[in-house]
Amino acid sequence: MTGATNSVFSARDVTKTFGVFRAVDGVSVDVPAGEIYGLVGPSGSGKTTLIRMLCGLTAPTGGEAKLLGHAMPRERRAVEDRFGYMPQERAVYRDLSVGENLLFFGQIYGMDRKRIAARTDELLTMMSLADRSKQRADRLSGGEKQRLSLACTLIHEADALLLDEPTIGLDPALRAEFWDYFHQLSDDGRTLLVSTHYLHEADRCGRVGLMQAGRFVAEGTPAQLRSLAADRVGRAVPDIEDVFLVLTGARVGGGR
Amino acid sequence: MRLHRIGAVAERVLRQLGHDRRVLAFMLLLPAVAMILFGYSFSGDITDIRVAFIDEDRTDLTASVLENLQKDAALAVRVLAPGQDPERVLIDGGYQAVIRIPAKFTSLYYAHFAMGVATSAQGRIDLALDKSDPQIAAAAQKSLADALMDLGEGGPVDVQVKDLYGVDVRFIDSFAPAIMGMVVAMISTVLTLLSIVREKVDGTFARVWVSPVRRAEFILGYVIAFGLVALAQSLVVLTIGKLVFGIVINGSIFWAFACVILFAVGSVGLGTLLSALAQTESQAIVFFPLVMLPSVLLSGMMWPIQAIPAVLRPLSYLVPLTYSNRLLRAVMVKGLAPWQEPVGFLGILAFVVLTIVAASLVLRQRARGAD
Repeated sequence: MTGATNSVFSARDVTKTFGVFRAVDGVSVDVPAGEIYGLVGPSGSGKTTLIRMLCGLTAPTGGEAKLLGHAMPRERRAVEDRFGYMPQERAVYRDLSVGENLLFFGQIYGMDRKRIAARTDELLTMMSLADRSKQRADRLSGGEKQRLSLACTLIHEADALLLDEPTIGLDPALRAEFWDYFHQLSDDGRTLLVSTHYLHEADRCGRVGLMQAGRFVAEGTPAQLRSLAADRVGRAVPDIEDVFLVLTGARVGGGR
Repeated sequence: MRLHRIGAVAERVLRQLGHDRRVLAFMLLLPAVAMILFGYSFSGDITDIRVAFIDEDRTDLTASVLENLQKDAALAVRVLAPGQDPERVLIDGGYQAVIRIPAKFTSLYYAHFAMGVATSAQGRIDLALDKSDPQIAAAAQKSLADALMDLGEGGPVDVQVKDLYGVDVRFIDSFAPAIMGMVVAMISTVLTLLSIVREKVDGTFARVWVSPVRRAEFILGYVIAFGLVALAQSLVVLTIGKLVFGIVINGSIFWAFACVILFAVGSVGLGTLLSALAQTESQAIVFFPLVMLPSVLLSGMMWPIQAIPAVLRPLSYLVPLTYSNRLLRAVMVKGLAPWQEPVGFLGILAFVVLTIVAASLVLRQRARGAD
């Protein structure tokens, strides 16, 4: 799979150091079109830094990060309107209304008002925010704000989506709802790179990269990871959280 | 560079301002309150300057000088007996100005006029002035000059008064341009700074950064939004100045607004620049007095820069409002075109270029994800 030119996201031996700290340490990954790829691992394992390199927010110290076949951040202008990025913070303008947030993010991607309005209706209906359009973002609940943040990422209908901890801080029911959205998007042919520290969310991904201390500890489909773990301990490991505990060879600190 | 993206940023900033009622009120009330407060504190035309009048000549001419002085509302004139030393009278008597007309003033006055240039001594008037209040001193000097104006054929008198722009400029007239500049500088700098720091804290900055929006478009969006705000604020100041204080604007309103907007552009640049130094909103607030105090104290807004101690005076020329004051006063009070006040005009241009270039570099740094 190395060197695949049709990968939506690809990293080749990517490293990012801050001083002596190696946030990402020689990671290689390829995500083909249509896949939901999960970056799973505890906080501080390098997921956010890897995503930021892939969308051109920060340059790799070593190796190469590519988005839609273009080296980031060098060639980011070539793909700037073809991907959507959802930062870990609930990144919306708190002093704008729901509708105005979507208007702004639509406008900067060159959409006209009519199309933005249509798309806004669509997204707000999908996210059950239809009655919140005039509400200021800082009056929304945490879950509503998170859904708005996701809607802002989706407004311009990009094919490639990088979602950094989109389900962080949500209750289990809402997290399940978010994963339903992700599968809807994937069914529409979009490619998703989703990071999460909720280990059991790995089961909803096509493939999973398990990160620890800036490295990939294991990679594969959830089934492949289960059998990998079973081989190690010599018995079946049905719970995906236990799979990670086995594969990292330590307590992963699930849930934190 | 795309117009629609610049427009998007400008529209968004204006919407954000519009949503925060407190900020909106602050933005429009600040110029109103500043104009009214400062206006009332300073616009009171100077009256009742304590003046002593000593007449050693006692002629019809000197009597009409006295009459003119007594008609002047700025002065409260007391006539003292001859033979007293003006300086002593000033110091001991608590006067702010002492006018003494020496003996033979009248004959010299007429003789000099009749004989022509420099062939005989001029009529001389001694004027002792309390210089501790320059505005009072200037007013007294002016009143004396006025009193000597219409004495009929004769003169001249060697009390020299330099009144460069003959129009009747009051303090309030030259204060309105300063308030316009100060309010625009405060609001544009601080709100740009706060807005950008907030984008950083909330993570919207990262979103904008991965979008097609360019640095120049981002800055221009802010510039347009705050340019419009500056225009609205200037209108508030001028409307109140005109309606409440009857200020006189001798120059072109068009140039005045153009200069204010130019100053707002530089202030947006300064706010962007300062955003590099603040990680949180509370850190950003700290910059408010840091921008405000030097502007009010050192810019020549309240008192002339010549009244600032010489050691501090170079600092005045590091304060952007100093140049704005010079420029706006030249345009509004003296009725000049901007380029006819080169120090102010070039100062503001340099301010704009420096801060916008620096702001652009700051944003590039931020975009590279130093954090």
